[in-house]
Amino acid sequence: MSLEADLARPAQPASAYVGDRQRKHNGNSFLTGEVMYTADLTLPNLAHVAILRSPHAHAHVRRMDTRAAESMPGVVGVLTGAQAAAISDPIPFLLDPAGLGGKNAPVRCLAGDEVVYAGQPVAAVLADTPADAAAAARAIDVDYEVLPAVLDIKTALAADAALVYPDWGDNVMLAGAFGPDDFETQAATADHVLEGELRIQRSTPSPMETRAYIADWDQRRSALTWYGTTQNPHPQRFVLAKALRIPEHSIRVIAPPAGGAFGLKMHGHPEETLVAVLSRQFGRPVKWVESRAECLLQGGREQLQRFRVAYDNDGRVRAFYDEFTADHGAMAAGAGWGMAFVGANSFPSGYDIQHCRVEYKIVVTNKPPSVGMKPFGKDSAVVVLERAMDLVAEATGLDPAEVRRRNFVAADLFPYTAASGMVLDSGSYHSVLENALTMIDYDRRRTDQQVARLAGRAIGIGIGFEMLAEGADVPASFVTAYDSATVRVDPSGHVTVLTGATSPGGGNDTAFAQIVADRVGVGPADVEVVQGDTALCPYGTGNLSSRGLVVGGGAVALAADDIGEKLRAIAAGMLQVGRGEIELRDGFATASGDPSKALPLAVVANAAYTLGYVFAPDIEPALESTRAFKMPNVRQVPDDQGRYSMYTTFSNAVYVSVIELCTETGVVEVIDHAIVHDCGTQVNPLFVEGQVRGGVVMGIGAAIGETIVYDSTGHLSSDSFKQYLLRRAIDLPSLAVGHEVTPSPFSNLGAKGVGESGYAAAEASLMGAVNDALNPLGARVDDFPLSAERLLRSIQAARS
Amino acid sequence: MNPGSDELVITLNGARRDATVDRRKLLVEALREDFETTGPKVGCATGDCGACTVLMDGEIRKSCLELAVAANGSVITTLEGISDGQLTPLQEAFWDEYAFQCGFCLSGMLFSAQDLIDRVPNPTDLEIRSAISGNLCRCTGYDTIVNAIRRAAPGSSATTRHRPSIEESEDGKSASPSS
Amino acid sequence: MISASFRYETPSSAAEAAGLLNAGAQVMGGGTWVVPALNHGVRQPKVIIDLRRAGLGGIERDGDTVRVGATCTYADVLTSSLVATELPLLKTMALGVTGGRQILNQGTIGGSVAAARPSSDAPAVVVALGGRVVVLGPDGGRIVDADTFFVGPERTVLGSNEIVVALEFSSARGLHVGYSKLKHGASSWPIVTAAAVLRDADAAGGPAVAVTLGGIAGAPLSVDLGDCLVDGQVEENRARTAIAEQVDLIEAPWSDVIASAEYRRAVAPVVGVRAVRMAAGSTAGDPA
Repeated sequence: MSLEADLARPAQPASAYVGDRQRKHNGNSFLTGEVMYTADLTLPNLAHVAILRSPHAHAHVRRMDTRAAESMPGVVGVLTGAQAAAISDPIPFLLDPAGLGGKNAPVRCLAGDEVVYAGQPVAAVLADTPADAAAAARAIDVDYEVLPAVLDIKTALAADAALVYPDWGDNVMLAGAFGPDDFETQAATADHVLEGELRIQRSTPSPMETRAYIADWDQRRSALTWYGTTQNPHPQRFVLAKALRIPEHSIRVIAPPAGGAFGLKMHGHPEETLVAVLSRQFGRPVKWVESRAECLLQGGREQLQRFRVAYDNDGRVRAFYDEFTADHGAMAAGAGWGMAFVGANSFPSGYDIQHCRVEYKIVVTNKPPSVGMKPFGKDSAVVVLERAMDLVAEATGLDPAEVRRRNFVAADLFPYTAASGMVLDSGSYHSVLENALTMIDYDRRRTDQQVARLAGRAIGIGIGFEMLAEGADVPASFVTAYDSATVRVDPSGHVTVLTGATSPGGGNDTAFAQIVADRVGVGPADVEVVQGDTALCPYGTGNLSSRGLVVGGGAVALAADDIGEKLRAIAAGMLQVGRGEIELRDGFATASGDPSKALPLAVVANAAYTLGYVFAPDIEPALESTRAFKMPNVRQVPDDQGRYSMYTTFSNAVYVSVIELCTETGVVEVIDHAIVHDCGTQVNPLFVEGQVRGGVVMGIGAAIGETIVYDSTGHLSSDSFKQYLLRRAIDLPSLAVGHEVTPSPFSNLGAKGVGESGYAAAEASLMGAVNDALNPLGARVDDFPLSAERLLRSIQAARS
Repeated sequence: MNPGSDELVITLNGARRDATVDRRKLLVEALREDFETTGPKVGCATGDCGACTVLMDGEIRKSCLELAVAANGSVITTLEGISDGQLTPLQEAFWDEYAFQCGFCLSGMLFSAQDLIDRVPNPTDLEIRSAISGNLCRCTGYDTIVNAIRRAAPGSSATTRHRPSIEESEDGKSASPSS
Repeated sequence: MISASFRYETPSSAAEAAGLLNAGAQVMGGGTWVVPALNHGVRQPKVIIDLRRAGLGGIERDGDTVRVGATCTYADVLTSSLVATELPLLKTMALGVTGGRQILNQGTIGGSVAAARPSSDAPAVVVALGGRVVVLGPDGGRIVDADTFFVGPERTVLGSNEIVVALEFSSARGLHVGYSKLKHGASSWPIVTAAAVLRDADAAGGPAVAVTLGGIAGAPLSVDLGDCLVDGQVEENRARTAIAEQVDLIEAPWSDVIASAEYRRAVAPVVGVRAVRMAAGSTAGDPA
């Protein structure tokens, strides 16, 4: 046999574990209470932070007197904004609007002379107990000069509007557009043009675990250890280094297992830096745990959408125009504003509409800043397009499903370059739709609906199709379409994976164990996965844009393949067979032609370290490989139309809901629902379904009932779960879930992101279903949330 | 002793424990800090999310709604005390059915679920959903939790560990697999 | 966390509890509202009087009266066979209390009555059943009819040195009852509640039907629907109109972040009639 054949890399391993519904890795640790979340951690001599927050939406801080607070029991120290500014720098932006020609304003860990939203941190108290800190915070005396506040888009854009940031000259952070500006020309040749609008309320990610940070400054080494609920440990380290004016390598960031994130825990929050500044200043480890009321300050998605659709009698959309304005709240160092940009970039969803123009504007107001939340603005494009398709169906008399069929990007058009410049990788939208309709028994539902209407019941059926761009790589940011992994086998045969990707609950660690198991030949339970520690893990950007499994797993696969190659080489030498004949499975290296020739992997691993010269002298020693996987399909140099393509995988789904609307009270009940979802290759179908289920329920909540409410002075009224109403188990029937698998041609696993799936489709579907129920009553709604009050008003208005 | 503190003596996970506790503390805080059982979580402190649920004197209670000082003399079980060297059938069912993702609501869910199946050996899906409606989950969408509880209920016929290929809907219809 | 310290008392009798009361004291039944209020600094009492050991937890019969102790939890109400037979409406109400089994174990009916929140279930049901609130102060006790006990949102006739020790009801065994409430999902507290009580034509006192609404005004609102009876049946359109008319007369309609006054006004007749329909469709003595 030739050396080339010996060294030939085998094809993709036979999957014993990838594709299997493996149980959650280390599930027993969760079940027994061993897992420690950030707020569970304690350190010796720990001090606690209470934050004094501005009671005014817009004010000038005239004077702050902290003397009374400083002398209260248990108090270690008090930090004002002025003091913090002397010893720290503004927080680097996760995404900087100035990079796109927009405006920014520096964000610091504590406000300076100006406060721009009610709830903004203005001072911090450090004390021996949280209770002492809270008591002392109340004793800080602040003299504010209250200024006029702008609390909505209309006021913010008025000619004489008060300015959130006076040196801006207006309240517009950024404005931009995607697509050819040719709607009028195209519309002139279409059969019809219709208009629509949608208002979307502010909602919030609200994971069950609020944010928490612990900072431990080591005076002797001038080094910081920082624990916290961050989705992005390595970028977090960069951010802290810049804000604290210290070298990045003197910081260790550790992200313990997190209780959900959904975008909330991407870096940029003032408190991340604040705890570090306090620890360094006062020489104690410092802990801050966010209250639920503070957590509900973070929100986003508030926007006003207006669209025009040029279509023909056959339901085919010829041109699409959308303009929208997003109410961002005050400036933030986080990712919130990016949602409007991404939303605009995501039009026209998965529809084949080349003449699609979107103009967006992001406005600042004196409300708490927007925070990133799944699905990061892509829901905007989805809900608008789905509404448009439903309106076209209504106008043409076609079934809503048929309108979608006629406008989908067909399977043979991929890779498909959208008007925005996004290049959609692959998809089988028609098949997904048909399967979803079959699952919900669509035709029978329509018949049932007619029968029910005769009996005076308002049944509605809504179709929600989502196409979600995932895995972004944004230039000059830490949003990357690559990640790194180390796979290491010790001489005893134990496998460790260290990854730059994190998992705030979605379980990519289980998937990584499965990927390694297939390629190295161990069982997933024999693989240890280490995430979230910048001192241990190779560089990565953590969890965002639904890329953890795709690029994190991609890197794990590459590194595991390297290890597999080395193990095969050593085993082949030990067993005296060709390297291409060695199979790694079930803890053994076995010769495929002769199963009696087998070695336990632990023996092979040991030999790799101690007998390398004997069995495989050409192989680089140590069973360790660090690799990065990078998605190839990114274009950061503009094309001839000035367009970029930042996203690398494109999942999709069709969700169908059947609702009953009580016409006397406006209450909507979901009586049945189903979703068919396509995220390409599924490493763990159990986990994929879990993401989809969670996303759907979150989307239903956003559609029907979750609303962040501010009063007329800009204070948060919905500051507990008694006002911000999440869905509970009794609210919904069980969801039928099906899958299509159209692999990604670009990811080495064939997988696409699934972390944000379900939400947008559910939200869009409910808007459709409610309007479907209202239609025969001559009523309609164009606003989220689809609250009972709004629906009842719409019904009453139609009656009069 | 600080006049703002009390000596709390409780039976916690089967062991007699005592600690001097700041009177201002909620029971969930005392459990997590003074008694070092971090199983119960603080998710809202308004009694809405259920993450702080524990078993107290034989009944499930939200421990963020109890003053620590009021719990003196009580018998309390937290997450750490549920399994006794071996996971319970309910815990195994939660694991098999993927009834927890981030795990933050897990402790509270287990208590609410166990309370139900102790009282109602063969609960309907409606009873299951109702029993966990004092607990919020943001990750799972609840269906897998319902499945886990149904499986673990003593009166249920699904006793063997299995791997369903596609989720079954409530009335037994299978979702059609595609591709 | 609670940031101001306090003295914690667990009186072993109602009299002892009443003796401890003063303006700086906070009484606690189950604590489901009081503890979060303390935690968020809404209240900072100097003394907390916990009634759980004051012997106020029983449910007993005294002749034709059923006496429900103030610190009875909703779970106690649910497991009481006395309540099941004599006050089935109370049992139905307890079944639907928001917050899960935990809250059923922790929340007390006396606490709910004393707190008098328009968003609670108990006040309107207690009024609908013609309940009487047994009050104790340092100068002695008094009994207040429930329909005069509630004055406005979170306002009752309780003096700052008085506590609720029990609720007394005449047996509702011979009555038809119905209960309906509107919530915006399981997370929401009740928006409008309606407790309907219907007495048959052949019962002592003759035919009577009334519905008591919660969440519509600051205090429970009772609407007599006797004029809506046509041949012993409640005519629903008339009932809707009667309810709407009474609701229109409310001077200070209730609203909160979850639902406006206009919405409550619009749905009150609907919820009220649902409760009446349930009562009319039930057998006397059945739970709603």
